[in-house]
Amino acid sequence: MAFLIRTIDFTAAGREIIRDRIAEQTSLTVGRAAENDIHLPDLAVEQHHVRIERAGDGMLHASALGTLGFALDGRMVMQGTIDPRTGGEIALGAARLAIAAEADGSIAITIRQIAAEEGKTDALRGFALASVLPSKRAMSWVLAGTILLLLLMVPVASHLLRTPTKPDPTGKTPGAVLLDSAWSSGELSVKHHSLKDNCESCHVAAFKSVQDETCISCHEDTGNHAPMPRLAGGAPALSPGDALQWRIAEGFGKEGPLGCVSCHSEHEGPVRQPAGGEAFCSDCHDKLDTRLTDTSLANAHDFGKGHPQFRPVYFASFGAAKPVRAKPGTKPVERSGLVFPHDVHMDARGGAARMALSLRQYGKPLECGDCHALTPDKLAFKEVKMEESCEGCHSLVSGRTAGGGFSKLRHGDVKDLAEDLARISSGPRRRVGPVRQRPVQIGSASPAYAADFGRPVRAYIGLSNALSVGGVCTECHLPTRGPTGQADLMPVNLPDRFLSSGYFNHEAHKKEECTDCHAADTSKVASDLLIPDLKSCRDCHLGATAVKTKKVVPSDCAMCHAYHLPAGQWATKGPKPHYRPVPDKAAIASLAGPAGLKP
Amino acid sequence: MMATKAAQTKGGTGRFTQDEKRRDSDHVSFLKHRGFRWLWIALALSAASIAGYVLIDQEPRPNGGTWYGYTLGTIGFGLILWLSLLGVRKRRINPGAWSLKAWTSAHVYLGLSLAVVGTLHTGFQMGWNVHTLAYVLMLLVIVTGIYGVVVYATLPASLSSNRKEMTRAQMLDALTAIDRQLESAAQPLGRAEADLVIAALAQDVFYGGPLARLTGRYPGCATSRALKRMGGNSEETARVGSLLERRRDQLAQIRGALRIRAMLEIWLFIHIPLTIALIAALTAHVISVFYYW
Repeated sequence: MAFLIRTIDFTAAGREIIRDRIAEQTSLTVGRAAENDIHLPDLAVEQHHVRIERAGDGMLHASALGTLGFALDGRMVMQGTIDPRTGGEIALGAARLAIAAEADGSIAITIRQIAAEEGKTDALRGFALASVLPSKRAMSWVLAGTILLLLLMVPVASHLLRTPTKPDPTGKTPGAVLLDSAWSSGELSVKHHSLKDNCESCHVAAFKSVQDETCISCHEDTGNHAPMPRLAGGAPALSPGDALQWRIAEGFGKEGPLGCVSCHSEHEGPVRQPAGGEAFCSDCHDKLDTRLTDTSLANAHDFGKGHPQFRPVYFASFGAAKPVRAKPGTKPVERSGLVFPHDVHMDARGGAARMALSLRQYGKPLECGDCHALTPDKLAFKEVKMEESCEGCHSLVSGRTAGGGFSKLRHGDVKDLAEDLARISSGPRRRVGPVRQRPVQIGSASPAYAADFGRPVRAYIGLSNALSVGGVCTECHLPTRGPTGQADLMPVNLPDRFLSSGYFNHEAHKKEECTDCHAADTSKVASDLLIPDLKSCRDCHLGATAVKTKKVVPSDCAMCHAYHLPAGQWATKGPKPHYRPVPDKAAIASLAGPAGLKP
Repeated sequence: MMATKAAQTKGGTGRFTQDEKRRDSDHVSFLKHRGFRWLWIALALSAASIAGYVLIDQEPRPNGGTWYGYTLGTIGFGLILWLSLLGVRKRRINPGAWSLKAWTSAHVYLGLSLAVVGTLHTGFQMGWNVHTLAYVLMLLVIVTGIYGVVVYATLPASLSSNRKEMTRAQMLDALTAIDRQLESAAQPLGRAEADLVIAALAQDVFYGGPLARLTGRYPGCATSRALKRMGGNSEETARVGSLLERRRDQLAQIRGALRIRAMLEIWLFIHIPLTIALIAALTAHVISVFYYW
């Protein structure tokens, strides 16, 4: 058993010098001292450093002779076992002793000097994850730069450089500001959804909150509830906290608590503006008279507990130009100019009922709906037309026509009546019944020869009779005298709506009988104003805080009033239109003028 | 001795007392710093935010634009800026009345309470916009931070056990030693086998991308491939084979260290860039809100 000790050195020129020697012994010592079997002139090596000896099974055992260990296969040890068949490497200072079994059974120890490795600490950097990932700093710059560029600089630059255009409510003008949709904090309300790509139509100037005038530039028709000074005076004082908030907000250019956006907040999703709650109204209206001492409005806060009596508008005198509002606590006497006892017409056993029974279009006693027809929006009633509703019984037929029908007096204008009556008296007379006529009889084929220039006085008498008491007109109308003393009729005056500051939907009450609310069946004269009072409503309708039962309907203010136009209702559910009835411009103009006029 | 003890019990300001205090605190985790002081502060902040959110009537609905929303937003903005200053603080090795441990403790707990403050600031209104981007970035930063705390608490032990008392340099040395033996042992091999050994030796120790490091899977490992394809039953190939096995085992240890190290460090590669991105998104968020006010 021998060790083949092979030393590999390099000349200055880099040439390899290999020296082999054979040591016929079972153990070797390695060290700096010259007497060692393997002499390593290296200060890092001990005088007697390691002993390598054969162990059983062809293994080699290496052990440190001093206190300093050695590296075996890269690991610092004091002793270790090497299998020469697989090999091993001992490191001592700069020397590397590679141990391997030769084919003849001897063991080769190859000694090689290793140049000090440079950049080892660099190699250790490979352990850090940073060696395989882009640097944090680079990633930070890229991410932050992208965000700032796309989400801040592009929108701001395109906003500053754009040519301002008029807001387009239809949303057809494409947005001039780029990427500002990323700034939207939420979807716009249903009505404003067409503006979603057109932020600058509301956000006009940079760092300036949405102004009322911007809203009004489109919503110029919106009523203002009351003029701004009245609104400001009627509102209760803000709590100190709210007042401070608004002072701060107004300091930053926000519109005050009466500005559009303080109620109409946007970017809250595709919703409709909810109607104000009872508290919203009663904030001001509960003790309104303490703040607006000159107001004609009574306090209100809860329909069941605190709501003033209805004050319908009606014509208080015959032929008045304008209706008046009923005074609180009085019983209105309506001067419509009509003679119409409701009870006579509604009595199921009376003469009117008998007559209706005999007529094909009725066939049964009269009902309210025979005269009063709902408007197409099902909210109110159409004007009662004499020709449609009355003439079935109150006939104005005056004779036969040539075609076999009936001629009748025209209704509506006394002048028409006078003409028609004159024609009856002076026109060609038709026989009422058919009479056999002989050929060539004068008057049959040639009306010109049949003219009957009767005495005109007959027409005047007829007109006078019709218009005076007991005449056909005065069945329903009141006789009067015209400016020149001629016989005339009182003009008929009925308001379009009796309750002009509230909203009542007849369709919603169709399960009720008309007479449940309107005391028509007991009304003997047309001067009775048959508008129900508060009490009849409160049978079912109580305030918003009332408990809902089969009979009781909790009713907040918005059920009958809307904020901008109190005469209507703002419904957030159901089909369009959401404001009912659809207001006309005159109604808005008469209310308070365009919204947003500053105090 | 008596005097120092007396000073200690009295909580005096003697040199010994101070040193003892410092020595004690040196071994207290930043999580438990001063009896969880910052945990309690963070819990108080969260509880106050939630109570305010529930109790304060915000018209028309809670969102970032009410006065309470602005308050929460301001608190959150200040917190984010302060939390991000930890990176500046830890680089300032200078004396002063500030403790990096206290700062880290506060960073962790206040960072967690930021999730509450930020979420309440949103009013739970989300969308595809810069505001929600900032919120999501904030949550990602917080989540990676939680991950960081967890791995810092658990992984160093396994990193130590994986080392088996070897330094990183020794692991590389061991591999180099095996490589030298492999090179000489492979001399008798034929072309095909020699090429396999060359490929194994030529492959970088740190071969593999971040994903390989994190999962510990190296499908392209040339050493494994050489082991698999090394044919022949001769003594030479057997020797090379056993050396390759040793090489594979040594690589496995190095890669184990790489994996634990990667899991320890990966969160910072999200936490830090996303923090900077968050500050950018936050800037865009605040400016845009008031630009389109």
